[in-house]
Order: sequence, then C-alpha cells, then structure tokens
Amino acid sequence: MAMNTDQLSPELFQPAEREQGAEEAVSRKRLSYWQDVRRRFVSNKGAMIGLLLIVIIGVMSLVGPLMNDFTYSDQNTDMMNISPFEKIEGDYWLGTDHLGRDLWTRIWYGAGISLLIAIIAASLDLVVGVTYGAISGYMGGKVDDWMQRLVEVLVGVPQLVVIILLLIWLEPGIFAIALALALTGWVNMSRIVRAQMLKLKSQEYVLAARTLGANTRRMLTKHMIPNVMGPVIITLMFTIPNAIFFEAFLGFIGLGLRPPQASLGVLLNDGYQMLQLYPYQCLLPATVLSLLMFSFNLLGDGLRDALDPKLRQ
Amino acid sequence: MGRFVLKRLIYMVITLWLIATITFFLMHNLPGSPLQNEEKLPPELKEIILKEYGLDKPLPVQYVNYLGNLITGDLGNSYKYDGRKVTDMIMDGFSASATLGVQAISFGVVVGLILGCVAALRRGTWIDSGATVLSVLGVSIPSFVLGALLSYYVGVELQWLPPALWEGWEYTILPSLALSFLVIAQIARYVRTEMLEVLGQDYIKTAKAKGLGRPAVIIRHALRNALIPAITIMAPLTVALLTGTLVIEQIFAIPGMGYMFVDSIQTNDFTAIMGVTMFYSFLLVVSIFIVDILYGIIDPRIRLTGAKE
Amino acid sequence: MGKKFTMTLALLLVASMVLTACGGGQSAGGDKQVLNITETGEPPGLDSAVTTDQISFDILNNVTEGLYRVDKNNQPQPAIAKDVEISKDKKTYTFKLRDAKWSDGKPVKAQDFEYAWKRALDPKSKSQYAYILYPIKGAEEYNTDKGDKKDVGVKALDDKTLEVKLNDPIPYFLTLTTFATYRPQREDIVEKHGKEYAQDPDKMVYNGPFVMSEWKHKKSFQLKKNDKYWDKDAVKLDEINANIVKETSTEVNLYNTKKADVINVNGEFVDKYKDSKELVKVPEASNFYFQFNTKEKVFSNEKIRKAFSLAIERKTITEKVTKDGVPAQGIVPITLDVNGKNYREQAGNMIEEDEEKAKKLLEEGLEELDMDKMPSIELLGYDRENAKKTQEYMKERLKNVLGVNVEIKIVPFKQKLDLENAGDFQLSFAGWGADYNDPMTFLELWVTGNPYNRGDWSNKEYDKLIKKSQTNADYEERAKDLIKAEKIAMDEAALAPLYDRQRLKLQKPYVKGIARHPFGADNTYKWAYIEGK
Repeated sequence: MAMNTDQLSPELFQPAEREQGAEEAVSRKRLSYWQDVRRRFVSNKGAMIGLLLIVIIGVMSLVGPLMNDFTYSDQNTDMMNISPFEKIEGDYWLGTDHLGRDLWTRIWYGAGISLLIAIIAASLDLVVGVTYGAISGYMGGKVDDWMQRLVEVLVGVPQLVVIILLLIWLEPGIFAIALALALTGWVNMSRIVRAQMLKLKSQEYVLAARTLGANTRRMLTKHMIPNVMGPVIITLMFTIPNAIFFEAFLGFIGLGLRPPQASLGVLLNDGYQMLQLYPYQCLLPATVLSLLMFSFNLLGDGLRDALDPKLRQ
Repeated sequence: MGRFVLKRLIYMVITLWLIATITFFLMHNLPGSPLQNEEKLPPELKEIILKEYGLDKPLPVQYVNYLGNLITGDLGNSYKYDGRKVTDMIMDGFSASATLGVQAISFGVVVGLILGCVAALRRGTWIDSGATVLSVLGVSIPSFVLGALLSYYVGVELQWLPPALWEGWEYTILPSLALSFLVIAQIARYVRTEMLEVLGQDYIKTAKAKGLGRPAVIIRHALRNALIPAITIMAPLTVALLTGTLVIEQIFAIPGMGYMFVDSIQTNDFTAIMGVTMFYSFLLVVSIFIVDILYGIIDPRIRLTGAKE
Repeated sequence: MGKKFTMTLALLLVASMVLTACGGGQSAGGDKQVLNITETGEPPGLDSAVTTDQISFDILNNVTEGLYRVDKNNQPQPAIAKDVEISKDKKTYTFKLRDAKWSDGKPVKAQDFEYAWKRALDPKSKSQYAYILYPIKGAEEYNTDKGDKKDVGVKALDDKTLEVKLNDPIPYFLTLTTFATYRPQREDIVEKHGKEYAQDPDKMVYNGPFVMSEWKHKKSFQLKKNDKYWDKDAVKLDEINANIVKETSTEVNLYNTKKADVINVNGEFVDKYKDSKELVKVPEASNFYFQFNTKEKVFSNEKIRKAFSLAIERKTITEKVTKDGVPAQGIVPITLDVNGKNYREQAGNMIEEDEEKAKKLLEEGLEELDMDKMPSIELLGYDRENAKKTQEYMKERLKNVLGVNVEIKIVPFKQKLDLENAGDFQLSFAGWGADYNDPMTFLELWVTGNPYNRGDWSNKEYDKLIKKSQTNADYEERAKDLIKAEKIAMDEAALAPLYDRQRLKLQKPYVKGIARHPFGADNTYKWAYIEGK
C-alpha cells in the first residue's frame, strides 16, 4: 500500500506545540510521602486483616463484658472451675475461674486493660524512646555520651525497688503501672533508634542532603526518621507484649491492679498456676493475647512496608 | 581508639558509682527492715539488733562505709542468709543462670538468624509466613506458660527429659528451650526487616554485578549490615538472661540469680540487693560498651569517637 | 517406625538419667531406706541460736535435739534430758541429761545448753528469736542490754545436770525446750568457724537422729542417719534427699515422675486428689483473721465489727476458696492444748454466722454512730496466692451480704507490716502462728499496749485475766480464765477469726511414719520408714 507521495504537503508538518518543562511533569497524580504511605498501607492485605482484628478485639473489650449477665467480679461459689466444654446451666460461654467468675467477661475486660497498657507503652516508646534515641544518635559525640550514660544508670537501678517505692506514694492501680512503665519501658527503643541513627548519619544520601544545606529539623524529619521506621515498628511490636507481661509480673509479686480487676497478664498468671488442672484457664487468655500480638505484628509489617521510603513506587 | 576506650572506662566507673548511690538511698527507703522475723519481733529487741547491724547510724555514714567496702571488692554479708557472703551467693546463682543464658542465647541466635535470613530471602512465600508466625508466637506466649507446658508435656507426660531440677546437662535442655523462644523471635524479626532493607541497596547490586556468589553476598554484605539492631537489642537481653529469669528458674527449680534478686528486694536484704545490682550493672555497662565497639567493626562507617571532631 | 524411634529415644534418656542418678557410686539397693522430699526454699541458716524460719527449723529438728522432743502426738518427751525435776513453785526446772553424743563422738553436756541459750540472748548474736527464751529469769534483761549475762537463770550444775529458773510458773516450758532456739551448741565448734558456723555441713556438729551430709546451696541437701545418735535403733531411714523447689506445679511434676515421695501442694490440687489416700492434711497452729482497727470510726463500734464477723461464711472459704484450712472456732486454733487437754474442746466454738443478724447489727451500729451509710472500707491484704483468693472472695461476700464496698489494697509484705504497726489501716487480713503449744501464744496479742495489738482493741477485764494467767500456777484455773478471756474478745469482736490453716501434702503410699507437727518444726523423720515400694 504505497502512499502517494503527492499527497504529502508541507502543511502537514507543523512543529508540535511545546510547553516549557512539560516533559519534566509527572503524569501520575502527585502523592506526598504520607499519601503514598496510606495508599500502600491500605492495599496491604495482611495489614488490613491485622487492623481489623485489633479493632474487633478492641470493640469486644468494650462490648464483650456486657454481652451476658455477669460482671467481671460476680462470683458463684457453686460454679467454680467449670470448663467451657462442660454442659451446665447458665451462660458461662467460656467457663468459670477458681472463684466461679465468668471467664468470657473477665477475658474481654482483661483484654481492654491490656490494650490500654499496650497503648500507654507504645506511646511512651514513640514519644520518649524515639526522640531520645534520635537526638542521642544524631548529635553524637559528647551529647550522645552523656545521654547514653544516663540510660545506663536508669537501667542499672533495680526497677522493683523503684516500683515498691512508687507504691508507697501512689495507690496501686493503672496509674502506678503506667508510671512504672514510663521509667524504663522506652529504653530499648531509644537504643535501637540511636543505633540506626549512627548508621544512617554516614550514608551517602544523608551527606548529600547535609551538603545541600538541609537543617537539623529537615534532616531528622525528612531523611532520618522515615528510614528508621522499620526497626522502630519491630521494636514497638516487642514493647507491647513486654509491657503486658511486665504488668503481669507486677501482679505476680502482688503489685499490679487492684483485685478483682484483671488484665490478660493477670489472667495468664492465675491460669498458669492451674495449667495441669484446668488448662483452659490459662490457654484461653493466652489465645486472645497471641491473637492480639499476631494482629499487631501483621499491622506492624504493613506499616513498616508502607513507611519505608525505599519501597516507594 | 585508645583514648576512646580509656574515656569509656572512666565513664563506666562513674556510671556504676551513680547506680550504686541511687540504689543505696532508694533501697533504704523501702518499708520495713532487713530483719526476717519482723512480724513477731518485740520492738525493743528489734532496735537492739538494728543497732548491732549498724543500721541505726545516719544514712550518709552507712553510705560511706558501704562505698569503702565496695572499693575493696567486699560486697558484705547477707542479712537473710545468716551472714553468708554476698559474693559467694552471686557466684553460686550466676553459674546456673549463666549456663542457661548462654545456651538459650546461642541456640536462639543461630535459629533466629537462619529464620530471619530465610524469611527475608523468600519474602512473601509460606516460609516467610511460617517464620513470622513462629516469631510472633515466641513473643506472645509468655515464657512461664511455655516453660510450664514443656515441663508438663515433655517432662511428665512423655518423660523424655527431666521436668525440673538441676543435676546435669539433660536438665538444662527444657529451660534453655523455653528461654530461647524470646531470643529467636526478636533476632528473626530484626534480621528479616534489616535484610529486606539492605538487599535493596545499591552496593548489594554492585556486589552481585561484580560476580560475587549469592552466599557471599548474603553473608559478607547483607547479613553484616542487618546485624546492627539485632546486636543492640542483644546486649541488654543477654545480660538479663545471664543474670537469671525468675519464673523459668522457679518452674524448673534452678538455683539461679533471678529468684535471689526478687527475694532480696522483698526481704530488704540490703547487701544482697546492692551486690546483685552492682553485678548486673557491671555486666550491662560492659556489654553496652562492647556493642558500641562492635558497631564500628560491623559497619566501618559508624564512628562513635565524636562525629564532629 | 516413628513410635519405635520415640521409644528408643525415651529409653536412652531414661537410661542416661538412671546412670546420672547413680553417679554417686552407690548401687540402688532395695533394702536401703531412702526418702525423697522437697523443700520450698533454701534454709537461711542452721545456727539454732539465731535462725527464724520454718525450713531451717525443720532441718534442725532432725539433725539436732534439745532437752525434749515433740512426739507423734505433739507432746514433749524426754530426749537429751533423761528426766526433769520441777520445783514446787513450778519456777525451777532441774534436768538430768542422758549419755548422748555429738556426731564427732564428744558427749552432750549441760554446759552446751547453757552456752547456746546465753549465746542466743547475747545482743551481739542478733538472734531474732531470742525472745522465746524470755520466760527464763534474767533473759529479757540481758538480751535488751539491761541486765548481765551471769544473771540469766540457766546453769550447768555439772556435766549432766542443768538448772533453769523461770520468771513465772508457766505450764508450757517443757514444750518450749523442744524449740530450735533451746538446742545445745558446742562452744569449740561455734568459736572455730565464727561467722561461717553452720553454713556448710562440715561447719557444725549434730546430736539428732540425722546428720547433714551434703548441702548444695539453693539446690538440694541430704541427711544421713546419725550413727552416734543415742536412740539410733529407732531411726529407720538411711538417707533423706531434699530438693529445693519453689513452684507447686513443679513439685507435682517431680512427684509424678517419682523424683519425690512427699511434696507440698496448694488447695487447687485438693479437688484432684480428694479421694486419694495420698493427700495428707496437716493442721497448723496458725490462724487467719480480720483485724479491725478500732481507731477507725466505723470499727470503733462493736456492732459493726460483729456484723462483719457474722456476715462471713467460713466453710465456703475453707471448702471452696482456699481449700487448705478449717473454719476458725475462735481466736485459738483447734490444734492447741491447755493443761494437757485440747483447748477448743474445753472452750467450744465461739463463732457465730448469721446473715440477717449481721444486716441488723450493721444498721444499728450505723445509727449509733449517726451515720446513714457505711463508707467504703479499705482491706489491707497479703500479696500471696491463697490469701489473694480469700481477699477477693471476702470483698464480694461483704458486698452481697452487707452492701459494703471493700477495696483491696495489696502491698509488699514488709509494707503491710509497717502500715499495721503504724495503725495506718482500716481492716487488715492478718495471720499469726503459734510459737508454742499454749493458747497464750495467741491470746496475749490483744492485751492493751501489746505491740502486736495492731487494732488497739482494749478491755480491762481481758487484760486482767491474761495478766493473771501469765503468772498463775494453778493450771486448772488458768485454763478457765483463758477461755473466759477469749469469750470476751469474741463477744466484742476484737477481731473476726476466719480459718485455721492446714498444710497440704501428697505422700506416696509406701512412705510411713513421718510425724507432723502443728507448731515448732513441721516434720520429724526419726520414726519414718519406707515399706512396700
């Protein structure tokens, strides 16, 4: 199909209209870092499942205790240590504990308290731990030296002594636990962030940014913090069970919540004493706790991938 | 480097002194006295015994005395255990706790490293998910539940290993295993995360392009860089495991340090509290120092000796 | 295949265990009498003059012996003493010693007793149980730096005669001589080892049915039959092996794998073993109760105190909640004797339980105080497992019956004591264990001004009766007075007794003859043996 060359005319060859700098423009909708994070996070199935589970457990911790006629403290001495598989009258969906209290209600009530402790611990980690570690690692030199020595002193002084003293001034309860956590709960986080900072500080893109005149604030927020997010989130995932177990440990030595209040940690503690006799009293709260941890981890993995600037597409 | 080490050594002494001082004064504010039979002791007799112990002297005097002894390496005698030397008590407990700790950590680190590497290299596959589930279980099942389950099922039901006591190597297996789960979980998670990050970096591509084999790339470049957070977290964890964990020791009836510490605080055994605190802090401070030096060895770009100098 | 492999593995492991177990080089002969037990903690010290804890008492009871020893029926029987002569005023005891020997072959002399007792009383020894010797003339004065050593009323008249002078004609002095602090000690051995005395098996000497042959601190210890013991023919066990195990479930694991023949269990295991002969309940001479602080407005009112006591269902606590006790019948536990007969059998049950009456009394009490509502009460509690359960149960019970809101305050034990001593509590869950076999060990606590009277309850008649009984040589009358006094305290509800504790044990059927005691030391193994293993 040869074309007739006669039909070609110079008019057909018009210069294209060219806008200055148009080829530089990004065709896809421009996303800020955080918009991209959200997009990537939402498209991560695991993370969404994790989030959903946490929301479900969170909602259940509020609604669960109201779903039957028992409160977390109601006792029935004729209905002690009833296993969930035993057919009995009454609505003990998950059986009862050693004082004839409804386990369903107590587990969800306990999950609520444990979540609260998890939130307190996580916020402390993020606010105090990350800031402290970031400043220490970024500043380096003398500042780093002194800040790290301070941490060593904090970790070296036995926590239990401090906690017992705290209890003399404060009434036992959630506030005292939070304060005890605040003392040293964030130390691991700060050390992880510091280590990452030390590593990042000498990397090429950071040097480049510094050479281009970025100020400290910009350096930290734009370059360093997003790049330490991976380890930060992993650490957070370990802080949460640690905090929950720490609270359980306080209960173990008798310094935790005011009974009959309970957390998952307290339930586990009570339950494990009777592992050989009534295994469900230990395994049920352990299951809820593991589920909670698992969802936190899924969520954490998703967050990590979403926050990592190098995985940005 | 020499100057750096010397400086850190001086700091270490200062840190230990601060810990000793703070602990000393806090401890003396604990309720009650170090006497054991306090519940029944007639008040007059109590006063006399406290005087015999020198506990009636003003706190600063007691402090100076204690510090003087500490410098000569004398940790004093226990109040609860009838004048037994605190140094001996620590050494007794430490040998058991350390055996357990070393085994748990070695096993945990090896398994954790392998799990973490494999998970990162096979990202998104069932291996990755399996490793994740395992490490999540490792942190979310408290070690005391795990310990109790192991002791009961492996020790009593199956009778494969002794359920408790401390008589020989086979007795250390179950408690070490129970403790190692936490180590496995943490190491695996950190290594996986860091590996993923490192594997995407340019120098890995360069190394591959240079024709380096896959194992060499992973070990020489990727793993090495992935170790920073793992090592950071290992220092305090190691010290914690070496100096004993209360619940595992109780479940397996192990004569370790974990119980000694909690017990000394609950019974106001002042010299024992101070002894264990100083011992623990010493290990901690040294381990942190080692970690700081390791940073530089693992990643030569990290210089702690004053970034601004 | 898999099963076979498992079996082989199991066999190998079992074999290796057996081999390690026999590592000591002894063959596991069938006729050797070995008892394996558990202890819940490390004995803090075996210096009989200064030690204060139950585990040390238990060991000392089996490796040393005092003038008297408590028998299977908890009555004091002559031991190192052959017999005793009691003066008419019941204030001078002259003991004749038998020909007993220490484990190093030297004779046990009266001087060993004099030395040990005076050593315990020496303030420099820092003995925290020295007050148990206070019935002896001059003992308290010397111990509290007000008197002289030479005025202490214990004297070795010769090698085999010991004379003891008492302040008052107390009826329970012979039981006291079974107590650890009353054991003899060898001056040469104590001086030789100084601070290290009795910290290792070779740093002490023994005069009891057993000697300590091995002590791995915080881990285990071993007792062996003492060939130098004066009554060695009565001793059947060759060896007692004790492992230190703090966790009950661990003890059960050891029991079920045949590594322990006798263990301690807690109330939770009662249900599982309730039909089994292996469950042994040992009554203790200890008592748990609610101590009201009478300085608190609401508890200054007798009717309100009574209401609290009436509202409690003690049987539920002992049968369903703690499962390791029996309901209290008064201040004095059911195990104690007075004047040679069981005290409670003479005094009867003084506890009343009545929900309706409780509600009525509470209302009347509030009216008397001009209050229209019972305020929230803070219960100072224990941080220990079984006590925690009782506290939680009591909180719910008091709410349901009396409508009173009780807040449980758990603090470390030392702080609980501090708060109690300072009178800084409203209601306290407290306990007390007997030091000797007489109701006085409980009843004198509530005398006005007694430092242990932490609730500051006071009654002149009660004080008078107790004071009289402390010096009354007419034991018949004394017993009646004590019952009268207890009745007064109960009528005014100075405290609300809850339950007497029991120790729970699991014991293999082949273990026989262990004597267990409600006060003093827990066990005597002298007559124990293994049969039909």
